[in-house]
Amino acid sequence: MKLDGTFTFGGPQESVWALLQDPAVLARSLPGVEKLDASGPDQYRGVMKVSVGPVTAAKFDVAVALTDKVEPSHFVMQVDAKGAVGHTKGTAVIDLAPVESGTEMRYSSTVQVGGTIAAVGQRMLESVGRTMMKQALESLDRELKARLANGRSAT
Amino acid sequence: MPAEHRYLSARVTRNEDARLLTGRARFVDDVQVPGMLHAAFVRSDYAHARIVSIDTSAARARAGVVAVYAAADLGEYLTPAPLLVPPPPIPDVVFHARTHLPLARDKVRYVGEPLAIVIAESRYIAEDAVRDVLVDLDPLDPVVDLEAAMADGAPRVHEDLESNAAAKVVQTKGNYEAARQQADLIVRRRFLYDRGASAAIENRAIVAQWDTGAEELTIWDTTQAPIPIRNGMAARLGLLESQVRVVAPFVGGGFGPKIMMFYPEELVIPWVAIRLGRAVKWTEDRRENFYATTQERGQVHEAEMALTREGRILGVRDHFLFDTGAYDPYGLTIPINTQCTLLGPYDIANYDSRFTAVFTNKPIVTPVRGAGRQHGVFVSERLLDLAAKELGIDRVEIRRRNLLGPDRFPHNHGIMFQDSAPLVYDSGNYLPTLERAVEMIGYEQLRGEQARMRAEGRHVGVGVVCYVEGTGIGPYEGARVTVEPSGVVRVATGVGTQGQGHYTVFAQIVAEVLGVDVTNVKVVTGDTREFQWGTGTFASRGAAVAGSACHAAALSVRGKILKLASQLLSVPEDGLELKDARVEVNGSPERGLTLAELAGRANPLRGAVRPGSEPGLESTAYFGPDRGSTASGVHAVMVEVDPETAMVDIKRYVVVHDCGTMINPLLVEGQIHGGVAHGIGNAFYEQLVYDDQGQLLNASLMDYLLPTATDVPPIETDHRETPSPFNPVGLKGVGEAGCIPSGAAFAQAVEDAIGNPAFEILQIPMSPDLLFDLMTEARRG
Repeated sequence: MKLDGTFTFGGPQESVWALLQDPAVLARSLPGVEKLDASGPDQYRGVMKVSVGPVTAAKFDVAVALTDKVEPSHFVMQVDAKGAVGHTKGTAVIDLAPVESGTEMRYSSTVQVGGTIAAVGQRMLESVGRTMMKQALESLDRELKARLANGRSAT
Repeated sequence: MPAEHRYLSARVTRNEDARLLTGRARFVDDVQVPGMLHAAFVRSDYAHARIVSIDTSAARARAGVVAVYAAADLGEYLTPAPLLVPPPPIPDVVFHARTHLPLARDKVRYVGEPLAIVIAESRYIAEDAVRDVLVDLDPLDPVVDLEAAMADGAPRVHEDLESNAAAKVVQTKGNYEAARQQADLIVRRRFLYDRGASAAIENRAIVAQWDTGAEELTIWDTTQAPIPIRNGMAARLGLLESQVRVVAPFVGGGFGPKIMMFYPEELVIPWVAIRLGRAVKWTEDRRENFYATTQERGQVHEAEMALTREGRILGVRDHFLFDTGAYDPYGLTIPINTQCTLLGPYDIANYDSRFTAVFTNKPIVTPVRGAGRQHGVFVSERLLDLAAKELGIDRVEIRRRNLLGPDRFPHNHGIMFQDSAPLVYDSGNYLPTLERAVEMIGYEQLRGEQARMRAEGRHVGVGVVCYVEGTGIGPYEGARVTVEPSGVVRVATGVGTQGQGHYTVFAQIVAEVLGVDVTNVKVVTGDTREFQWGTGTFASRGAAVAGSACHAAALSVRGKILKLASQLLSVPEDGLELKDARVEVNGSPERGLTLAELAGRANPLRGAVRPGSEPGLESTAYFGPDRGSTASGVHAVMVEVDPETAMVDIKRYVVVHDCGTMINPLLVEGQIHGGVAHGIGNAFYEQLVYDDQGQLLNASLMDYLLPTATDVPPIETDHRETPSPFNPVGLKGVGEAGCIPSGAAFAQAVEDAIGNPAFEILQIPMSPDLLFDLMTEARRG
């Protein structure tokens, strides 16, 4: 499965970059993530719950690694998840660039899914993936705006 | 045979239906044994991976779990399953046998391959404990696509082999190259034909019970081959064959995959039952069935046909790849069926056929109803259709010109069939079958109306295709016929039954010979305690082979009956008649003895059994044909295609079939109806969709589409009877006939309905999406 797209954040590129490197923010913003802790430099481990079609609230152990970083414009995020109902392996290439209204993010990701979740959830997988991506990005944007608002009131 | 048949060839209703329809018939999952434990399997989520570790400690610790075994726990029992069907003695055949282990060790080769078995007090606990087992797999690049599998540098399913080629076979007759030089036309295409799951209503199930006191193992198994399972398990477990009893009770559909042996579950569960001294049950669930039960899958053909301008076939060349899955325990049965069935009912003097069987990281491939025959029929029938178009010859006419005439039998094709015997057609009369189908579908009339209907915006088309089906192969089956002192006749045979109607057809054969009522003949099958010699139900052979054994045993009992009656009545045998369960004296019907009386007299409590005779009215006989008998037929279909949505509406379906002497036309029609439903599924709906990682994407009946009652039209049938000279009753098989030519028939009909010369159907299944794309492409030119 491939998920590609663009999203515009309402804030400057450096703020978006900082947001995307913060595990506490990611844990709050990514749908289904129950915890995400740093396990090394640019490496995180955690637990995620996902529902796809007939597979409900499946629990996955997640490992996230950020690589190929070119601050503040480019990085690669690798996500490995294993659970009783299957496994997923995703790689997302993320590019940030300033635009008039803020920062545009381009993402290009490939996701491999195996096990039960692939076998019975396949028809729903792509739409679930898109929905989760949309929820995550909108949530991150809200977080960004809150940060910026706090930042302004603080100065 | 008496001149007038009373039960043979009669439309007798089925003896077994009362038990089935009232829910009294026992299936394996109905078996309950006190103290029985339940099994569930840990299976691989990856198509190809190295096994790093399997930690079963948490599962063992769960309350209610009795035992957990992975490969390392099986000790010396961890040996590969046997090669079930060695390749036929074809010159220069290359074959690499790679069979599976009871539980995977070192490496997994398909999604669903069993890694561990959990035994618990209930299935619920067992399934929960499956999730406690920690399996660490290190994924490898999988082999999924057939052609990519054969490319240089492709990852290898079996690393000890040089490539993913499991087998290479070449079979030729005549000289195709020379024939090609003489040809006026050569049609060449690439064909893809996919098959799917067997999707029997009853999934597989096994119960194994070790009786410590009697030192006897009983295995209830949804197998099509109880006797070979008994023999194999006895050998593996170091038991006498008499210590193992295998019962295949009523089985809810076999269709081929239930002849596979030995499945990993079949190997492990009896071993566990002996080890624990408690009965163990495992019933496959539907999702498991998509991974754990064998399937049939794709072939890729590069084929060409050389013809004269009159449409006479000079020769065929066909090179194909066959997906055998991760292991090849069933040998080469499917691709050899493809290779042989491609020749069909036609006179083809020159043939160059070669195939490569390819290992892939997908479940094991073994026959599913049709067993590769439909792949061959699709290739030859499509090539004929394309040639007819090119030459401007009518589709039915080009077939007429190429059929083998009735004077050409027995017809030796000079190549080897799947049963290791030369491919010889025993008998047939093809042209009248074709003409009858053409007449029933109203071919000429429809051709006349097509233009008018098209002007009205209706796209109606017709397809007419021919096929043969190699059936009734050896090695042998046996039967024991006994007249009990009550007068009831008991028949025991070993084949195993999965809904075909064996309780009726075997009874009909015996009733005919012994002159008793068919409901008074009780058939027992599928229990090794009742009959212990035989092979099983496959290749449309039950009626032809086991039926012939029943016939021979009944004739022998008939001889004993008449001999005894002759002695008791002091009348020569030729002065006696056997009818209505009684022997009577010709001309004085009041003088006679009933079969019950004779059975009592044949087994006296005093006196002596004379030297050279045996007690009782009982005989056992065997029948082993040198080679199979070849059934044939024609399917004619009429479809209407919606040019906007590409949905196909099946208007009519005609089958004219010749399976030699029919024991029971009602059951022959039932087999054909079921086969056609299978064929419709194959043609339009059923496809196992794997992604590039070898993950099956439609492992549920929500996504894997089977035809439902509304998708299967009424089927019109007619019969021709060309008896087989290879068995005494003249029987040929019919089990697979309904599904073999369906794909080819629909492809021709849909093409005809669309009527655009650029629109060609070269692959099966043809989903509405595929047809829509092909139509759009053809319209663009």
